[in-house]
Amino acid sequence: MLDTFEILTTSGVVLWSKTYSAISPAIINSLITNVFIEERTLTHPGSGVADDVSAANNPPYKYDQHTVKWTAVKELGIIFVAVYRSLLHLSWIDKLVDNIKTLFVDLYGDQLKKPHTTVVECHFDEYFDQQVRELEKTALNQDTRAPQSTNSLQESSISGAGDARDEPPPLPGLLSKGGPKYNKDSTSNESTPIATPDTSRPSTPASHLLVGKGGPGGKGSRRARKAAIASTYASSGDESHSRRTRAAKSAGPKKGRKWDADGLADEDSDTPLDYSAPANGATSGEDEGQTLPGSVEQVDQESWGSKTGKGQFVLKDLDDQVNSILASADAKKGQTTAASSGIVGSSISAIGGLFRNVVGGKTLTKEDLDKAMKGMEDHLLRKNVAREAAVRLCEGVERELIGVKTGNFESVQARIQTAMESSLRKILTPTSSLDLLREIDAVTSPSSLSLQKRRPYVISIVGVNGVGKSTNLSKICFFLLQNKYKVLVVACDTFRSGAVEQLAVHVRNLKELTVREGGKVELYQKGYGKDAANVAKDAVTFAAQEGFDVVLIDTAGRRHNDQRLMSSLEKFAKFAQPDKILMVGEALVGTDSVAQARNFNVAFGSGRSLDGFIISKCDTVGDMVGTLVSMVHATNVPVLFVGVGQHYSDLRNLSVKWAVEKLLSSN
Amino acid sequence: MSPITEWAAALMNPSPVALIIAILVALSIPIFLHSIVFRASGLTTLPSILLLGPSGSGKTSLLTLFERGTNPADTHTSQSPIAVECHLPVGATATSDKYRSVNDPTANSTYKKFLLIDTPGHGKLRHHALDNLTNPQNLKGIIFVADAATLSAGDEGLRQTADYLHDVLLLLQKRMESKNKAAKKLRDIPVLIAANKMDLFTALPAALVKSTLEAEITKIRTSRSKRLLDSGIGIEDDAENDDWLGEIGSKEFKFSQMEEFDVLVEVAGGKVAGGDGPAVDKWWKWVSERL
Repeated sequence: MLDTFEILTTSGVVLWSKTYSAISPAIINSLITNVFIEERTLTHPGSGVADDVSAANNPPYKYDQHTVKWTAVKELGIIFVAVYRSLLHLSWIDKLVDNIKTLFVDLYGDQLKKPHTTVVECHFDEYFDQQVRELEKTALNQDTRAPQSTNSLQESSISGAGDARDEPPPLPGLLSKGGPKYNKDSTSNESTPIATPDTSRPSTPASHLLVGKGGPGGKGSRRARKAAIASTYASSGDESHSRRTRAAKSAGPKKGRKWDADGLADEDSDTPLDYSAPANGATSGEDEGQTLPGSVEQVDQESWGSKTGKGQFVLKDLDDQVNSILASADAKKGQTTAASSGIVGSSISAIGGLFRNVVGGKTLTKEDLDKAMKGMEDHLLRKNVAREAAVRLCEGVERELIGVKTGNFESVQARIQTAMESSLRKILTPTSSLDLLREIDAVTSPSSLSLQKRRPYVISIVGVNGVGKSTNLSKICFFLLQNKYKVLVVACDTFRSGAVEQLAVHVRNLKELTVREGGKVELYQKGYGKDAANVAKDAVTFAAQEGFDVVLIDTAGRRHNDQRLMSSLEKFAKFAQPDKILMVGEALVGTDSVAQARNFNVAFGSGRSLDGFIISKCDTVGDMVGTLVSMVHATNVPVLFVGVGQHYSDLRNLSVKWAVEKLLSSN
Repeated sequence: MSPITEWAAALMNPSPVALIIAILVALSIPIFLHSIVFRASGLTTLPSILLLGPSGSGKTSLLTLFERGTNPADTHTSQSPIAVECHLPVGATATSDKYRSVNDPTANSTYKKFLLIDTPGHGKLRHHALDNLTNPQNLKGIIFVADAATLSAGDEGLRQTADYLHDVLLLLQKRMESKNKAAKKLRDIPVLIAANKMDLFTALPAALVKSTLEAEITKIRTSRSKRLLDSGIGIEDDAENDDWLGEIGSKEFKFSQMEEFDVLVEVAGGKVAGGDGPAVDKWWKWVSERL
């Protein structure tokens, strides 16, 4: 069963919620931070915060035994979230989220557009309950009849087959379910997978009962007809799916249908909606005569009221309204897809588009953006951003911009530029502050109130061969020494000949440089051929005994796709227990940066990942600092330092502004 | 005679109709202009109060409470800023209304409204808030919401709160150097540190919140002064070493040091939610004093 359904705005206010069993707010908060803000889950194309994306296309978010299904309406800035236990397999949740979205936007859309308020007067409970009841019922029906599969794409054919099997016809749920199949589209009626007349005979009366009533009983009664049409129309869970599949199957072009205020089809549309008339279709013609008037009456009553018995007609009204809203939304969708034709209209709009492109005030569409986005992607690729990251950035910007109006005298390019700038800034800005010195202080001199014991702060440095691990380690060491820490440098590269000696030279130099400033640095080494993890562990114990503040561990360079070498990192992380694992990546590397960052990020076993990157050799690439973005994109791990030269002092904090300027500068 | 000259002659004639039209036009133009100008400027002059603070401290809750008066709405992490029109509660008078007569019929309508601007506190989205600081629109004050329950020493929450507060105060301190005119116009800028969630057992009292934040900011500014240079340095010719918050050379940071820069910091406790309803009277009082 569903745990909670919430409707909230992007500014964080819950507009409406329904809770069946209380859940921790952390679930939805983590959804927001991980999916919307940090974009950790790599969404597949077309999904995300874009408008009009069905919940089925958004990847479900799992957190702490709960599954979260969500969808969003971008222009109104609202998010629809359904939370349920991961153990349960609820196939109708997608449909529920979508339907609720349509209903809520239709009912309260104008209230949501009001500025300067967070209050939305909504009495949404009954609408929601009605949807849940209905969808649960259809799901239940499906489960009993077709338990083998819940795949939404197959739903229509399954339920079609389900109708064909014999089933007691006079079920209201079945009524509203069976309805649309017959009454939807005359052009595609034949292509639906409804079974042969013989087998469908027991069920067909069900779908015609309503019409039987509509015909003799209440031809003049507008309300009854409306009810009949609305309830046969578009109420069931699989309705839109069946439509979609049918639309795909039918070869003929589809026409938009006009709807009036009541949700009735315009009379002048030549395709009759009322397929129950005897003339329409050979399958139903013969059944019509067999239907007994008595059974008509009986089912009629049942389809009017609800099962609760109390307030039947009220409930039916609600159903009407809900169904007509859903149906008109569907029809609108159909219209927009059908309406994009006509040479004259398109050329006029093209000229207007050109004009607006200069003056501004143009509403951006996918076509407007496509070419400019391609240019932006190429630009990013030229800046050495990995293709994967560039595509993701561009898709994000495109998603953000579709449907947005450009400002006065703002061209599309300028709009994209600003959007890309904020996008880059967002991806590069770390989630929390990266003050290394303060973290070291917190560990080496814990406050008297907390119960932690003093211990050295351990930093280990990993990376591919030749990216500058030892060099950057000595740069960090120099920085720490200037701040008067006692540093122990540990040589854990026990493999490459000369590695230990290289570090020894660095340490000697650093000693000479900082002896006046009061820093103290020692080298810890056990020679070659030893196990790196054990050496690191011994070094940390040694540092704790001798009162060092910081332990810097240099590791052997390893190729990120060499499983044997990478697997030793897990043991290393377990033994040394580093507070920070920094990966050095060189700015020169291109597309491979994504794979490097990813492989190193997962190499430390579950529960441990990288804490930051050092991007070395930034002085050698000029403006092409795309590696920064690629690595952060791949792992969501922030860049801690940037190496900008050969001297010990050539280590910098990353300035996001600087990086963004370089990435967007055009030359 | 051509009709044109006839027309010209008619216009030049000192007829009473032409005179009346001319007078009407001459009189209505200033009125017309006044109404246009006045209306255009009237839109932006609602005083605004900015809500800042780290994620999860209760900004959006406070916003909804101020808007609705009695009960805050449920909230989740914000992704976008929102400005909401609020009214002072009954009984609170804005400072600007202090000397008005009780019987003044306009006293109840003007200046009691204000805009409350909520900003997301997530690390990646703080630029919304900082934009509001560097380009303020009739900003009357800043409420920095802090979760008093996570401010005990050595806590991660304390670090993040102090970090954000440090950045905000530093930005305010440097507002005179910024190129933006609107930021320069801000003379006094009062900051209220709203110690929220006082209903929780672990919450520190307001005085303690103040001293812990001061101590933590002292640590931050010393470590900031020792940090590495930014990679962008040298591109823009910024003065490099004036990122020191508060009085230069002082050993410990105190909020009172900010008064030199016309930033008045106050700390007040309260709670938005909790067992026996919200308790935000002190904050309302502070707000009404700013308006």
